Amino acid sequence: MSSGCEHMIEIQDLRKIYQMGQVEVKALDGVSLTIDKGEFIGIMGPSGSGKSTLLHLLGLLDDPTSGSIQIEGIDVSRLTDWERTMFRLYKLGYVFQDYALVPELTVKENICLPAMLRTDREEKDYIAATRDILHKIGLWDRRDHLQSELSGGQQQRVAIARAIVNTPDILFADEPCANLDTENSRMVLDLFKQINQEMQQTIVMVSHEDWHKEYFDRIVRLKDGKMVNGGR
Amino acid sequence: MAKKELRVALFLAWRSLVRGNRSSMLLNVLIISMVFTNMMFFPALMSGIGVDIKEQIVAYQTSNILIEPAKGDQYISDLDTTLAQVNGMPGVERATPHYQMGATLKFRGRLLGTTIHAIRPREEKYVSPLYTTMIAGSYLGDGDKGEAIIGELVAGSPNIPEEDEFNPSLGGVRVGDSILVEFGNGFQKEYRVKGIFRTGNFEMDNRVIVTWEDMEEVVGEPLDYAPYITVRVKPDYSETFVKNEILQYGLREKVQTTEDLLNKGIGRALASFSIIGLISMLVSLVIAIVVLFIVIMIKTLNNRRQIGILKAIGVEKSVIMHSYGLQVIILSLAGILVGFLFTGLIVVYMTYYPMVTPEFSATPYVTPLDLAFNGIILFAASVVSGYLPAWRVARENIQNVIRV
Ligand SMILES: Nc1ncnc2c1ncn2[C@@H]1O[C@H](COP(=O)(O)OP(=O)(O)OP(=O)(O)O)[C@@H](O)[C@H]1O
Ligand SMILES: [Mg+2]
Repeated sequence: MSSGCEHMIEIQDLRKIYQMGQVEVKALDGVSLTIDKGEFIGIMGPSGSGKSTLLHLLGLLDDPTSGSIQIEGIDVSRLTDWERTMFRLYKLGYVFQDYALVPELTVKENICLPAMLRTDREEKDYIAATRDILHKIGLWDRRDHLQSELSGGQQQRVAIARAIVNTPDILFADEPCANLDTENSRMVLDLFKQINQEMQQTIVMVSHEDWHKEYFDRIVRLKDGKMVNGGR
Repeated sequence: MAKKELRVALFLAWRSLVRGNRSSMLLNVLIISMVFTNMMFFPALMSGIGVDIKEQIVAYQTSNILIEPAKGDQYISDLDTTLAQVNGMPGVERATPHYQMGATLKFRGRLLGTTIHAIRPREEKYVSPLYTTMIAGSYLGDGDKGEAIIGELVAGSPNIPEEDEFNPSLGGVRVGDSILVEFGNGFQKEYRVKGIFRTGNFEMDNRVIVTWEDMEEVVGEPLDYAPYITVRVKPDYSETFVKNEILQYGLREKVQTTEDLLNKGIGRALASFSIIGLISMLVSLVIAIVVLFIVIMIKTLNNRRQIGILKAIGVEKSVIMHSYGLQVIILSLAGILVGFLFTGLIVVYMTYYPMVTPEFSATPYVTPLDLAFNGIILFAASVVSGYLPAWRVARENIQNVIRV
C-alpha cells in the first residue's frame, strides 16, 4: 500500500449517494483524486455540486457509499470510530464557515483545546504553541477575550489557529470566508497561504469565490458530483 | 477514561457553568437545594414529632419500662417487695409505683372530671423530671397531706370564659386555692393547691397529683398494691436489657419497654407518617430529575452543532458526555450543599420556635445519616438525569449536526 507514499491523500472512485425516498441524490459521483504533501488545493464548483460532501469524506466526518480513501497510505475505511476520532485529533485540522468556536472559552482556551487532549503534549508544550500561534494570527492582545467580543475575521483567525495548533498533516476548510467581507477574507486567505508556505502545510479548501483562485496551487472543480477538472 | 480527558471534560464543564448563563445556573442550584430541603424537612419533622412524643412519654407517663399487673389481675400486689426486687437489679435507676383514681373536681362553680394520680414524691424525682416543671408554688413532699399539685391545663386561666375553652379547666386556680375532690369511690376531700406544673405534655398537664399517703386515706387502707410501676433505666443500660432482666427474675407481671408501647400505639401512626414522608421525598426526587433532565436536554440541544464540531476536531464523545455530566454533578453538589444549609437553618429556627400543638412540640430531627442518605439519593438521581441527554447527544452522527 505505502508504495513510496509521496501522496498525502489518494481517493478512488468516491461516491456518496443519499436515498431520498424514491430518489437517489448522487452528491458525489465517482471522484478520483490525489493530493500531495504541501499542496494548497481549492475545491470549487456551483452550489450543490458536492464540495462539502467531498471535504467531509476526506476529513473523516462522513462515510462514502463506495470508493476508497487513503490518507498517508492508510485505508481510513478500516478505522474504528475511536481510531477515526484519534486520526482527526492527531492528523487533521478543520476550519468551518461559521467559525464554530466554543463561546464559553476565551481565544486562548479555544486554541489550545485540541492540544489539551493529546497524550504526546505536556501543558508547557501547548501553552507555548498557543502563544506562538496567537502572535502569528496577530491576536495576542485578544487572548483573553470571548468569541462574542471579536469580529468575524478575528473569530475565523482563531478558528484557524485552533485547527493548526496540533500541527495537522492536512488542514480542511469549508468556505472559511463565506461570512467575511473582502478585506477580512483576504486577511484569512493570506494567513492560510502563509501557513501553507512556511510550514509546507497541506490545505484543502472549499470556495466558490472566483478571486480566491490566485491563492490555490491547484483547483479541483466539481459539477453535479463529478470532477470536471483538476484531478490527477 | 484517562486523566487527561477527565481534565478537559471538567475544564469544559466548569467554563460552561461560570461563563454561561449565571442566573439560570443559580436557579438550578436553588431548585436542587429546595428539593433537598423538601426531601429532608417532612420526614425530619415526622421523626422529630416521634422523638418528642417518645421523650414526653418516657419523661411523664411510663418512664423507660412499664410494669403492669399480670393478665386477670387488677393490681400489682406485694408492692413493696416487688419494688425492692426491681430496684435491686443492675441497670435500674429507680422503680416507683403509681396509683390513679377517677374524680370530679369542684372549684368556684366549675366542675371538671379528671384522674387523680398518687406518687411517692421523693422517689418520683429519680424517674420523672416533673419536679423541674413547676411554674408556680412547689413540688410535693413525702408525707404531704391535703395538698395537691395540678397541671397547667387543669388550673386554666381566669381570662377565658368557660364556653370559649378548648380544653375544659377549673378556670384560673392559683397556688393556695382549695379544690374539692369527689373521688370515684365516693370519698370527698378538699385539697390545697401546692403547685402548678407545665410539662408540655397534654395528658400530664391534665393531671392532679397527690401523695401516696393521701391516696391511702382515700382508699381507706394501706396501699401495698398499685395499678402500675414505672422504671427508670440507668443511662448506660438499654431498656430491653433491663426488661429481660426483670422478666428473668420471675416477675409474673406484664413488662414492656416504651419502645414496645410505642410500636403498638403511635408506632402505627408514625409508620403512616413515614409513608407520607416517603411519598413527599419521591415527588421531590421526580421534580429534581425532570428539572435537571430538561436543563441538560435544552443545553445539549442548543449546542448540538457545537458538540458536532468538537467531535469533528477530535474531542472524544466520552469527553463531551462528561463535560455535560460534570455540569450536573457540580450543580447538584452545589444544590445539595445549599440544601444542607437551608435544612440546618430550618432546624436551628425550629429549635427556637418549635411547632407547638397540644400533643407535642416538634423540631425537625435530622441525623447525619439522613443527610447523607438523601444527599446520595438526590445526587444519584441528578447524575442519571443529566447523563442521559448528554450521552444521547454525544452519540449523534457528526454529519447530522455539522451541516448548517
Ligand atoms: N444529508 C443529506 N441528505 C440528502 N441530500 C444531501 C444531504 N447532504 C447533501 N445532500 C445533497 O448533496 C448534494 C451536494 O451537497 P453539498 O453540500 O456537498 O454541496 P456544496 O457543493 O457544498 O454546495 P454549497 O456550495 O451550497 O455549500 C446537494 O444536492 C445536497 O442537496
Ligand atoms: Mg457546501
